[in-house]
Amino acid sequence: MMAAVGAPEVISQLESAAKVLMAPPSMVSTEQRQHAEHIFLSFRKSKSPFAICKHILETSKVDYVLFQAATAIMEAVVREWILLEKNSIESLRTFLLTYVLQRPNLQKYVREQILLAVAVIVKRGSLDKSINCKSIFHEVSQLISSGNPTVQTLACSILTALLSEFSSSNKTSNIGLSMEFHGSCKRIFQEDDLRQIFMLTMEVLQEFSRRENLNAQMSCVFQRYLALANQVLSWNFLPPNLGRHYIAMFEATQNVMLKPTESWRETLLDHRVMDLFFTVHRKIREDSDMAQDSLQCLAQLASMHGPIFPDESAQVTYLAHLVEGLLNMINGIEIEDSEAVGISNIISNLISTFPRSVLTALPNELFASFINCLTLLTCSFGRSAALEEVLDKDDMVYMEAYDKLLESWLTLVQEDEHFPRGCFVQPAVQVFNSYIQCHLAAPDGTRNLTANGVASHEEEEINELQEDDRELFSDQLASIGMLGRIAADHCIPLLTGLLEDRVTRLHGQLQRHQQHLMASADPGTVDRKVLDDLYEDIHWLILVSGYLLADDPQGETPLIPSEVMEYSIKHSTEVDINTTLQLLGSPGEKATSIPGCNRTDSVIRLLSAVLRTSEVESRATRASLTELLSPQMGKDIVWFLRRWAKTYLLVDEKLYGQISMPLSTAFGADTEGAQWIVGYLLEKVINNLSVWSSEPELANDTVELLVTLVEKRERANIVVQCENWWNLAKQFASRSPPLHMLSSTVQRTLMKALVLGGFAHMDSDTKQQYWAEVLHPLQQRFLNLINQENFAQICQEEAVKQEIVATLEALCGIAEATQIDNVASLFSFLMDFLSSCIGLMEVYRNSPETVNLIIEVFVEVAHKQICYLGETKSMKLYEVCLTLLQVYSKNNLGRKRLDVAAEEDQYQDLLLIMELLTNLLSKEFIDFSDTDEVFRGQEQSSGAGRAVSAADVVLYGVNIVLPLMSQDLLKFPSLCNQYYKLITFICEIFPEKIPQLPEELFKSLMCSLELGMTSMSSEISQLCLEALSPLAEQCAKTQEKDTPLFIATRHFLKLVFDMLVLQKHNTEMTVAAGEALYTLVCLHQAEYSELVETLLSNQRDAVIYQRLADAFNSLTASSTPPTMDRKQKVAFLKSLEEFVANVGGLLCVK
Amino acid sequence: MADPDLDFTSGDAGASATYPMQCSALRKNGFVVLKGRPCKIVEMSTSKTGKHGHAKVHLVGIDIFTNKKYEDICPSTHNMDVPNTKRNDYQLVDISEGFLSLMMDNGDVREDLRVPEGDLGKEIESKFAAGEEMLVTVLSAMGEESAVAVKPMTK
Repeated sequence: MMAAVGAPEVISQLESAAKVLMAPPSMVSTEQRQHAEHIFLSFRKSKSPFAICKHILETSKVDYVLFQAATAIMEAVVREWILLEKNSIESLRTFLLTYVLQRPNLQKYVREQILLAVAVIVKRGSLDKSINCKSIFHEVSQLISSGNPTVQTLACSILTALLSEFSSSNKTSNIGLSMEFHGSCKRIFQEDDLRQIFMLTMEVLQEFSRRENLNAQMSCVFQRYLALANQVLSWNFLPPNLGRHYIAMFEATQNVMLKPTESWRETLLDHRVMDLFFTVHRKIREDSDMAQDSLQCLAQLASMHGPIFPDESAQVTYLAHLVEGLLNMINGIEIEDSEAVGISNIISNLISTFPRSVLTALPNELFASFINCLTLLTCSFGRSAALEEVLDKDDMVYMEAYDKLLESWLTLVQEDEHFPRGCFVQPAVQVFNSYIQCHLAAPDGTRNLTANGVASHEEEEINELQEDDRELFSDQLASIGMLGRIAADHCIPLLTGLLEDRVTRLHGQLQRHQQHLMASADPGTVDRKVLDDLYEDIHWLILVSGYLLADDPQGETPLIPSEVMEYSIKHSTEVDINTTLQLLGSPGEKATSIPGCNRTDSVIRLLSAVLRTSEVESRATRASLTELLSPQMGKDIVWFLRRWAKTYLLVDEKLYGQISMPLSTAFGADTEGAQWIVGYLLEKVINNLSVWSSEPELANDTVELLVTLVEKRERANIVVQCENWWNLAKQFASRSPPLHMLSSTVQRTLMKALVLGGFAHMDSDTKQQYWAEVLHPLQQRFLNLINQENFAQICQEEAVKQEIVATLEALCGIAEATQIDNVASLFSFLMDFLSSCIGLMEVYRNSPETVNLIIEVFVEVAHKQICYLGETKSMKLYEVCLTLLQVYSKNNLGRKRLDVAAEEDQYQDLLLIMELLTNLLSKEFIDFSDTDEVFRGQEQSSGAGRAVSAADVVLYGVNIVLPLMSQDLLKFPSLCNQYYKLITFICEIFPEKIPQLPEELFKSLMCSLELGMTSMSSEISQLCLEALSPLAEQCAKTQEKDTPLFIATRHFLKLVFDMLVLQKHNTEMTVAAGEALYTLVCLHQAEYSELVETLLSNQRDAVIYQRLADAFNSLTASSTPPTMDRKQKVAFLKSLEEFVANVGGLLCVK
Repeated sequence: MADPDLDFTSGDAGASATYPMQCSALRKNGFVVLKGRPCKIVEMSTSKTGKHGHAKVHLVGIDIFTNKKYEDICPSTHNMDVPNTKRNDYQLVDISEGFLSLMMDNGDVREDLRVPEGDLGKEIESKFAAGEEMLVTVLSAMGEESAVAVKPMTK
């Protein structure tokens, strides 16, 4: 079309279109803009535009038009490659290169686009033997040796463009070729051309590093080549013999460790390469931009591993040279801010890449200097990081560097058995000391001091979303805790001394305030500065102590760290047990005032220092000084005590090879020490819950400590012997202040703890009495209330509503306490309530907040209990859930609400209903019930026949939910996830029910599945794929054709086929998609053959056709004819893996 | 616009319009009095001044009658007023001049409530025009009342 028009017309048309596109938005209409865009699009699609493009490039003055001409050439070359004469391609490439060379003043974006076209031509040609593109390197090296900075910059741009094109990453242009093609190009490129580029780059760097003075233009060129070197060293090398399917994925370009192939050995093991980068860095280190590149090059070299090293000794030699270079570079310079992160990257890469055996094989002196340097660097970065915090800098470079180094320390000392004994103790002492120093206030420490020693103290607003330091700095604290264990001899007494000192001072300070208050009675006059400094010191000391003394692994029993145990054992001969126990048992006294306090176990003394802190806090609350206290410190204390109790309380000697006498005497089973401390912790919890009800986080940490005390049977046995425990239970049951002022989540957890405690060992009378105190009042109050004659009238009264809400919350808490050994009694207890709750649904149908809470009770019961219930009990639960759904549905039919709440909240009930249905279904996956083993003795004969099944309840529920789930609602992630979880569960568990659904419902279910498969997250897509097999199997079972489900599955066959064969796939999905494909193929064999035929007939290349045809044949070879047989299915999945590896890269196009 | 008849039938004559509650015990989606107006709490967050400061509660509420937004911030130990709220369903018998005629449980008809503004009002009017029988939910708090929901009569 374009060809019919003369060149000048085309140019003027394009130029005026460009003018429209470049005009400010106010000057042109949307239509004009779209029209202009269309002109360029069709121009780029025109057939063989080479002549006109050349003409444009030579004559037009409009940059944007030049840019479009370059793009058109690039696209057309790729499109028409097979039809073009080889020498015309060659001359086109020469033309473009010459064009750029002759026009040094081109706009940058035009120039880059033309070079991109050149790179694409070179790449496309690299697999075509008939055309020689190698000459480009010769040309480039000539450009470089010209000595002309502009030309050299151009050469660098060419190389950069080549690198991006061949990297087969997201930087690579989309040229419509198979992933296999991209991968092969990359492999050939990295073996030869990439190295050539690297050598060229090294030459340039060498040349520049020799020069004395660099002018601005020169150093600009220098910088570009340095960046290029970095790009080469960050190359994600494709291994020579890895399966083809690897190619089908585009590779990352960030955080790549250097793993070159063997052919690079000579190049990269040459010491001169590494030396050059050290030299370069020394030369440019004051330029922060360039320094980043040079340090990154060194960090890449420090991450080098793989077949490039012929043996371990080569690795040792390489590492030794690297470490020497690094020490030479660092020693004697003052590190620039911009160097911190880079240097820490070099060290962290080196420590995580090189095996321990290589590190230990370094010459002793060198290794010692390295560790020494690492120590000094860590301490120095730590201090600078603290300064950054004081200045509240946006860019925390030292913090990042410090984190990296601490992480490296953790890697080192976790495997310290490989290293000479004790070699890390002194470094650990130094790093630990400096950490403590940075976190303490003057005069002991330097917290909040600026570089010139001025204290800064700002009170900033902190919102609830801000993480607590114990989480925010958990990585740092874990490293420091670990170093503290390595140097326990120094660190444990240090922490103890500092903490005891701060507690004494806090005590004195609070006393002074109290006297002051009694005199003037105006709390406004209190200066909090001294107090806040003490609180902050104590805060950090407790956090470090907690991380040092114990770990907090998820889901397993934490052990006392071996270093701490050994430390306690080592000193146990010098320890007086009785004095130790006395020290432990008297938190109200100053530790140093106890005679012989220096002959006590240090681990216990550190704990008792925290107990002393706790005691000062508790006494202050009793003296009505709560307002002066720090809730943060309160949190720290209970956090520590919880972490400590999990590990040390009732220490189980069987878990340890050797055990420390002081620890087992003080905290072992059946010891007075253990009983005393349980009593003390309980008192602390009770005090906190009454004093701190207004501090939600502190109350929460406190009640979590309580759960820790009762969730293990052995600990609970001691807890229930305490009178305080019973008082707490009674007080909570009476629903009086202060406990009822706690937030609802805290009350729920408190209820959970009280129920858990009830399953401790007690004689039967005591147990009966306990339940009479804890659970029966709840039931009694509730029944009394709802059975009142005028309940219907008073139900809206606020006091009544509150009572109801409190009961519902408590029921959730009770359900949360379910464990296998208490489910029998808890289930019966809760069932009585559930039926009454349905009555409440009716009464409170107009208050959504109450309705939601009622549904939540059902959700919790189903969630925690259904997996333990046998047939009869499950049925009871199904029945009551069905009734709930019926009432819900009746009350919500046609309801229109004027609700002021935020949108997502409005659908809380919908979300809860879906959660309930999903929980009910989960029994089909997780079922611990052993034919009502846990209910033995209670069960009547279950021969009555199933009245209600899970399927009935769930499908009834789906009838309610499905019509309400619009596409808009699927935009809320919580609703979307829950919805898909639910519908795929249903397909998997009750496929036989799907064809019986009403037509509308069936249709929307199928639409949802398709939508989920094709346009949701990969997780949801996987869920939907998993739902397909059972549906297809269902069709096969009934043998009926032309049912709606049969027709739907035929459609899904095409979708899954395209997904697996044509689209870039996510390997996690292959299994789910493969299973779905197989069952669908079984069902629709003819349609499948048709799909394959169509795909093959589109192939023009005979070789590719044959490869594909063979691949499809062998895919189904082991399962012909396909039948729904497990063995065949497995065989198919295996062949599918080979199929994807073999031709996946061919069909997937970029 | 207190209606003497209403007090008589609802059985809570003499109950106070509000009651106090510790700020930290309030909950999202619950009710609170902000700037003298009964509000539904749509946002509730805590903050503190300095790491060792005490918690303050930041409340955002929406007036349950006017839909206006109010905010307040106070120490979490403070007591806030919570309005006593009630919801009742009445059968709609007529609409005239922008007022609803609602039949109460005792058979009396009250005609003092306006048709609510916005979608809900339009819905009530169009359904009524179509001859559908409906129950209207009326929310009352601190001496004010308003229709907040509608649903078809169940036979």
